[in-house]
Amino acid sequence: MALRSTTLNPGVDWLLLRNPPPFWRAVKKHFWSYVFLLPMLALVSLFVVYPLVASLHITLYDWNGIGNPTRYVGLKHFFAVARDPLFWQAFQHTFTYAVVLVPIQLTIALILALVLNNPHLRGSTIYRAIYFSPVVTSAALVGIVMSMLVGSVGSEVNTRLMEAGILSQPIDVLGDPRFALAAIIGVGIWHTLGYNLVYFLAGLQSIPQQIYEAADVDGAGPIAKFLFVTVPMLREVGLVILFLAILGSLQVFDLVLVMTGGGPYFSSEVVSTYIYHYAFTPASIQAESNVGYASAAALFMGIMVMGLTLLQLVAVRYARQRQSERKGKQAG
Amino acid sequence: MAAHPIALATLRPKLFGRRASGLLVHAVLIGLGFLYMYPFLWILASSFKEPSEFFRSGLSLIPQHLSLDNYVYAWQAGGFSTYFLNTVVVAVATTALVILLTSMAGYVLSKTSFPGKRVILGGMVALMFLPGGYTIIPTFDLVQKLGLLNTLWSIILVQAAGGLIFNTLLFIGFFATIGKEVEEAALVDGANLPQTYWHIMLPMARPMIATVGLFQFMSNWNSFWIPLVFTLGNSSLRTLAVGMYAFVGENSTGWTYVAAGAVMSILPIMTVFFFLQRFFIEAVAGAIKG
Repeated sequence: MALRSTTLNPGVDWLLLRNPPPFWRAVKKHFWSYVFLLPMLALVSLFVVYPLVASLHITLYDWNGIGNPTRYVGLKHFFAVARDPLFWQAFQHTFTYAVVLVPIQLTIALILALVLNNPHLRGSTIYRAIYFSPVVTSAALVGIVMSMLVGSVGSEVNTRLMEAGILSQPIDVLGDPRFALAAIIGVGIWHTLGYNLVYFLAGLQSIPQQIYEAADVDGAGPIAKFLFVTVPMLREVGLVILFLAILGSLQVFDLVLVMTGGGPYFSSEVVSTYIYHYAFTPASIQAESNVGYASAAALFMGIMVMGLTLLQLVAVRYARQRQSERKGKQAG
Repeated sequence: MAAHPIALATLRPKLFGRRASGLLVHAVLIGLGFLYMYPFLWILASSFKEPSEFFRSGLSLIPQHLSLDNYVYAWQAGGFSTYFLNTVVVAVATTALVILLTSMAGYVLSKTSFPGKRVILGGMVALMFLPGGYTIIPTFDLVQKLGLLNTLWSIILVQAAGGLIFNTLLFIGFFATIGKEVEEAALVDGANLPQTYWHIMLPMARPMIATVGLFQFMSNWNSFWIPLVFTLGNSSLRTLAVGMYAFVGENSTGWTYVAAGAVMSILPIMTVFFFLQRFFIEAVAGAIKG
């Protein structure tokens, strides 16, 4: 092909970029645009795109992470993951974490946002900053501080309860399979509540004041205004907040690793710590390092999360459509 | 905001009840706010306590005497001087790298139309919706093959890469709001694209640089997962969060040292937050509106 094209003059021009066709002329003209894009694209290709592609490949091998993967095993790891009760337990814990945390956190955040959104309330920016402040600290640090605090509060409460004869022996909250996950959920609610508070505040502030004034004229009370103005107007933003909260909580890792390491007896193991254990610290779960297996579990979870993301896109689009239809009706 | 006189007049009959309920609201908000901040206040108090006092006084917020011994121990023997320096280097370098690369890319993607632009934009949007965090293993493998394992570069590059797409999209949005006249004036003056970017566009993008920078700095200061994985083999490269995790493992009884380490890790970012809290919160709020 290349040879034949050199017999034609345009082909030679093409190769030497002499009197180039429009496409190459455009490329040459925008030389600087490509230079400016190159560093960003290079880093993204190396550390985002390549790992995505390579993780597919790794799932097909038995590999301890040293050297190159050589023992091809096909889809074996996926079947093994699907059959491992510990994986499904971790999966269930991950969803429990999200299903318990999200409704509680969003309810508190919405109530706080409604209170702080009151224009007559003085110092609302100070309150907002206080309730937001845990967000700026790392989950790992928060996990360590909270483990210590849970220990201190625990010993105080335990002594009182034992003196009162309610408990016969002290309860170690983070060392007890019945309470470990619940304690982590509690800390999770506290840690990221501020995001949702600020999101809801932004949503509330985007509701035009005239609608409330119109409702006042119609004689609506505060509850009627909340149900018939605030809730419908918040639906679209609320849906985004809901999905961001779900997606964020499904990826929980730092808090769990730091507070319990997934224990005791895997009672707080979530999918991300399960993957971490298999890939990097196999001794902690009495297994051999199997990066192929860990990658398969990661991909499995990744596909689930992606499914949820797509669901979110569909839901938000649907809500947006309904909202614009409603607006259209009001206008018409 | 000054209240409208007519609005005030209609409010006056209710004013007493409003004031009482207002006080109640403030009381609840202050009480809850105190509980909300309690973990931070408690760890700060604990960092000054002696080990025996820590166990005796439990939840008290007032240390009997202000001793800096815990800080001295954590900073010197605990390795926190190294962790602190590593965190500063990683957070500053990653933030600078992200701002530079994403503003450059955002500028040309917003202001020039070149062959392949649609493909790049489409690819970026598609990548936005793929879940991150599940590809650490091949990333680790790649870093190893590039010979970057056991260097701070591994953390800087991997973390920066993770923030590139989202922030480039932010810069595209920002530059789209700047009118064409500005650029055309620069071109008339004979400036080429890099000159226009550096002398005109970048200074105009200061608000967006502040937003991106603040968020990058915060998330890099706090990140745990990536520094943890890339420093498994070399403790001298640990960042504060990873160092704390290891410190707890090694000092399971030295809680007052851990408290001092925690304060050193939290205080800098908290200070930045309380000085710039308006910008932080506006940036978060902006994310949901966009």
